[in-house]
Amino acid sequence: MDFIIEYYFDFGLMFDEFDRVIDGFWFTIKLSVLGGVLSLLWGLVLAVLRQLPGRALAPVRGLVIAYIDVFRGIPLLLVLFIVSGALSAFSAPSQQIIPREIGIPEWFGQSAPFWYGIISLTITYGAYMAEVYRAGIEAVPRGQMEAARSLGMSHGQSMRHVVVPQAVRTVIPPLLNDFIALMKDTSLVSVIGLIEVVQAGRDVQSEFFNGSALVLGALLFLAVTIPLARLVDRLISGQQARFQRAQASPA
Amino acid sequence: MSPSGEAMLELQGVHKRFGELHVLRGIDLEVPRGSVVCVIGPSGSGKSTLLRCVNLLEPPDEGRILLEGKEITGEGLRDGVNFVRRRVGMVFQEFNLFPHRTAHDNVALAQQKVLDRGGTEARDKARGLMERVGLADKVDEYPDRLSGGQQQRVAIARALAMDPHVMLFDEVTSALDPELIKEVLDVMRQLAEEGMTMVVVTHEMGFARDVGDRVAFMDDGIVLEQGTPREVLDEPKNERTKRFLGLVLER
Repeated sequence: MDFIIEYYFDFGLMFDEFDRVIDGFWFTIKLSVLGGVLSLLWGLVLAVLRQLPGRALAPVRGLVIAYIDVFRGIPLLLVLFIVSGALSAFSAPSQQIIPREIGIPEWFGQSAPFWYGIISLTITYGAYMAEVYRAGIEAVPRGQMEAARSLGMSHGQSMRHVVVPQAVRTVIPPLLNDFIALMKDTSLVSVIGLIEVVQAGRDVQSEFFNGSALVLGALLFLAVTIPLARLVDRLISGQQARFQRAQASPA
Repeated sequence: MSPSGEAMLELQGVHKRFGELHVLRGIDLEVPRGSVVCVIGPSGSGKSTLLRCVNLLEPPDEGRILLEGKEITGEGLRDGVNFVRRRVGMVFQEFNLFPHRTAHDNVALAQQKVLDRGGTEARDKARGLMERVGLADKVDEYPDRLSGGQQQRVAIARALAMDPHVMLFDEVTSALDPELIKEVLDVMRQLAEEGMTMVVVTHEMGFARDVGDRVAFMDDGIVLEQGTPREVLDEPKNERTKRFLGLVLER
């Protein structure tokens, strides 16, 4: 028992190595926020493309569906290896298929593994979030689109001003759930050499034969994810209350 | 019958199928400029589909539709959609107001996006129309704060904001509590007196009799009988018209 407490809850060690862990956590936050925002946008683009009307645009819809099927169906870890491997290999001096600045990105002073992580998270979570948006868009009554079209608005205008604003409101809670999942998955980026919070904890663990830095990392995660989960709960119960009010009020 | 040059709207042999379901089986109908044509008939007879074909929410499979003498079907369909939606306003059974926008914004939105009206012009127009439908004090309310009758009057104002030449009404009082029906019918009556061309699908026989210039009885996808309200409602020649009116007036 004492051993367990000493191994996982050595507060002295947590204090001494706090800077290292927090540096890692800062990467986790940056990956989560930037990857999250880009996934939200990319997912919305995919969802809207998937709803394009008419026979002529069926190939676009087909491509989007195929994309979503593929990236929902393979592990993020695999995407990370493929993205980092492909980009660095194709920009190697012997290949030069893509420019080096894109193949080994170091934009805004961040390392290439960081950007490989951002790209992979966006590719994968964009596909998840596209499905969430789709559910929201399809839950908006048909009559909304028809009313907008009957007023002369184009399909695009109707989506932009009428359907999507209503859809986004209803899917904020599930999108936040996906964001929590994305945040936890940022730890996978450690496999291509980025020292985020989990890797920082492992480094400390192997140096001192003590897992307390991992527990510290867990606590840092929980400090963000638990409030987010509560926020999701509150949003959902607020929505339910509004829904019940709408049901109760006479037509 | 007025000469066809006078017709605001003309349907010639219009057919519509949904898969196996043959909903419209050759509709001929003429709507003279400034007249009110009421379409009556049992549920499922194709009345709503008829209106939805006229504003091309459902393009007809066969037959021709002429609006102000211009064919909007067949070869004309390509640029027909914009031509129609700029000239034909529609009001729906379920109101279909945009729930995330105030009454004012519901009336102003399409003016700004489709007609490129500036904010002030659209606002003045919206306020004027809200006053006209008797809701000057409700401009800043959201739809869920309005009664069904009020919502439907906003929907009428929203359609009028686009300066339509023809208004289509699709069972606009069917979803309303009985005591709210009159306020909507009064607005429509006033509109008819001002000379608006109207096609009104309705179960309100009193309205058809008082306001309608012509009444068309539809059953099973065809217009079985049409004429003045007196001819169709008081002295129906067709057996099915008689039976339908018998059932409706028995209520």
